[in-house]
Order: sequence, then structure tokens, then C-alpha cells
Amino acid sequence: MSKGKLGATLTAGLWKRLPPFRLVLGLCPSLAVTTSAENGLGMGIALALVVTMSNGIISALRKLIPAKVRIASYIVIIATLVSIVETLMKAYFFPLSEQLGIYIPLIVVNCIVLGRAEGFAAKNPPLLSMADGLSVGIGYTLSLTLIGSIREILGVGSWFGLPVFGAAFEPLAFLVLAPGAFITIGILLGIQNLFSRWRGEKFVQG
Amino acid sequence: MSEIVRMVVVLSLIAAICSAVLTFAHQGLGPRIDQQTDLYVRGPALERLFGKPATEVLHNKVVIAVGDQAIPVFFAREGDRVSTIAVEATGKGGFGGDLKLMVGVDLDAGQQTGMEVVSHSETPGLGARIDEISFRRQWQGLPTDTPVALTKDGGKIDAISGATTTSLAAVGGTNEVIRFLRDHKEEIVQAIAKREAGS
Repeated sequence: MSKGKLGATLTAGLWKRLPPFRLVLGLCPSLAVTTSAENGLGMGIALALVVTMSNGIISALRKLIPAKVRIASYIVIIATLVSIVETLMKAYFFPLSEQLGIYIPLIVVNCIVLGRAEGFAAKNPPLLSMADGLSVGIGYTLSLTLIGSIREILGVGSWFGLPVFGAAFEPLAFLVLAPGAFITIGILLGIQNLFSRWRGEKFVQG
Repeated sequence: MSEIVRMVVVLSLIAAICSAVLTFAHQGLGPRIDQQTDLYVRGPALERLFGKPATEVLHNKVVIAVGDQAIPVFFAREGDRVSTIAVEATGKGGFGGDLKLMVGVDLDAGQQTGMEVVSHSETPGLGARIDEISFRRQWQGLPTDTPVALTKDGGKIDAISGATTTSLAAVGGTNEVIRFLRDHKEEIVQAIAKREAGS
């Protein structure tokens, strides 16, 4: 494994494979939990932990797991990791885990985790796979925090719970509701596509 | 054939290791989760009942066993006497399942100091209005020796309009506490005294 490949993998998640915008995977929690920057950050970190560890474990076991039961094995491993993360969150970040509710257990069926396991960890050595998981996880955390920040700043007038505007600010309350999530993500996706077209990147989504 | 055996063995092994890890995690973190649940779920109710920060009251807890049930009782000291206790109860038959209630009792005055809803899954806008102060404050000052009842049954509690079932569940839960107090008051006092002597 060359140094260059590790570096490339580490940065891929921040732009080339940036979820949810470039991969367009894991949209359900991105829409549902990003009502505030804090929720987005919490969800992102939980997913980053799971995807890094699951990539590492699955990659280490990739020669041991028979091809026919690989998906079942991945799901068992991922579900275990998610349960551990959920337990940890309940023990140390109880209010946040109440806020995120069902979306933490639902990381089990998050397409990003299974996608990275099947698409990357199953073919690459453990260290490289963990780097991939970490970079995708960080990308996801940044994206969700960004979406959450936009929705919270404009929809509530605060950021991480701290007021940003004066009392005269009239919040756009619809942004913290479900339609606001679609509109925010749609606009961000559009801006990002325009940007890559402007840079002349070969246009690949997913 | 050997491939099938390998599949079974590998998958079983993975599942077994995962279960072991999970059991370990739950055992290790279980007490801390209980503590956090107490603080964030029961905490707000206790704070309103005792007018003290939840962290001061939470460790003042005794559990009284009645039949196969374990009823948590929280208490607060007034000087060196225990005057106010909060008894947890289940309001059976809410619209969306059982309610979890906490009833505050002033032992000296023989009065209820309030009813708090710890958790419920009632309909928002109807039964969920059980959380509202206008409903809850009807409990303040009620005697602890007579059962409470809704106005339509000749009692003093005005039901939430459109949510009689929920109101009935809250009343039922309170009556459970009243019965529990009548039958087990001595036990509670002894348990608290024992707890105090031990600490």
C-alpha cells in the first residue's frame, strides 16, 4: 500500500465521495435529524464511528467470510457496532440520544455503512478501509452539520443553541419542518453540482 | 457441502462474538444508563414536586416491594425530618398505553403536593395536555386519606375535555398511590430511616 493511496482515500470522503451530496446515500437521516446543528453533528459522529469500525472489522474478516453470506455477516457486525454506539450515547449524551431517537438504531440500515462495506472494505486491506470509513464519516458529519446549521440559523435564529440574530429577527419556521429539509438539501446539491461543472470535473453522481 | 458448513460456522461465530460483546457493553454501562434515565426522565418531575435540583433528590430513593412490584419512593428532608415524599405509580388504561406518574405527598399535613407525569404516549393536543399545569395543579392540597375522582363521578378533578380516558388513568394512578400509602406507610418510614442510618 503506497502512501499516496492512503492520502487519496483519506481526502476522497471530503469531496469526491462526500456523503450525502456526492454519494446521494443516507438521505433519510440527513433529512430527518438536521433540525439543528447539534443534532447534525451528533448523528454524523455516530455514523463516522460506526462506519470506521465496521470497515476495519469487515476488511479484516474479508477473506474469512464466504461470499454467499457476506451481507448477513456485514449486517450482524454493523448492528452490533450500532448497538454499542447507541448504548454509549445513552450513557454519556442522554439528551442528544433522546433527540436523535430512532435514527441512531437506523444507522444499521444506512446505505452509506453497507455501501462502504460492500464497495470498499470487502476489497481493500483494513487500514485503508478504516481510512475510507473515517473520511466518509467526517464528510458526512461536516455535511450534516452544515445542513443543520443552515436550518437552525435561518429557521430558529440560533446556532448550537446560541442566539445569532437579535430579537427583531423573524425566523423562517418552515426550514425546521420537513419541507425545509428537502429545500435545503436540494439547494446545496445544486450549488455543489454547479461548482463541479464550473471546475470542469467529469460529472459523476454516486 | 463443505461450503455450506463453512457458511454456517462463520456466521454463527460472528453472531456469537457479537452477542458476547453486546452483553458485556450492556452490563458495563447499564447502571450509568439507569442513572441518566433517572436524571433526565424522572428529574424534571422531581424538581417540580420538591422545588429542588434533581441531583439533590435523586439519590434519596428507596424501593418498596409490594407483591411482585417494586415501587420507587423519593424523599426530601426538611431539617432532619422527612416531610415530603414522591411515589411513583402507573396510571393504567391511558389512551396510548399506561402513564407513568409521580405523586407528591406531604406526610405531616396528610396532603398531596402535586401530580407529575413522568412519561406518557397520549395523543398530542388531547391526552398529551395532561402535562399542562392547569390540569396538574388540581392535585395540590388534596387529602391523602380519600380517593380522588373526576367531577363527573363526584370528585374534584376536572377532566381534560376530549381526553376522559387519559384523565381517568391519571386519577386511577393517584388512587393506587393512596392505597399504597394507607397500607405501607410504616414500611416507607422504616425504609427511609434505615437508608438514613446507613448513609
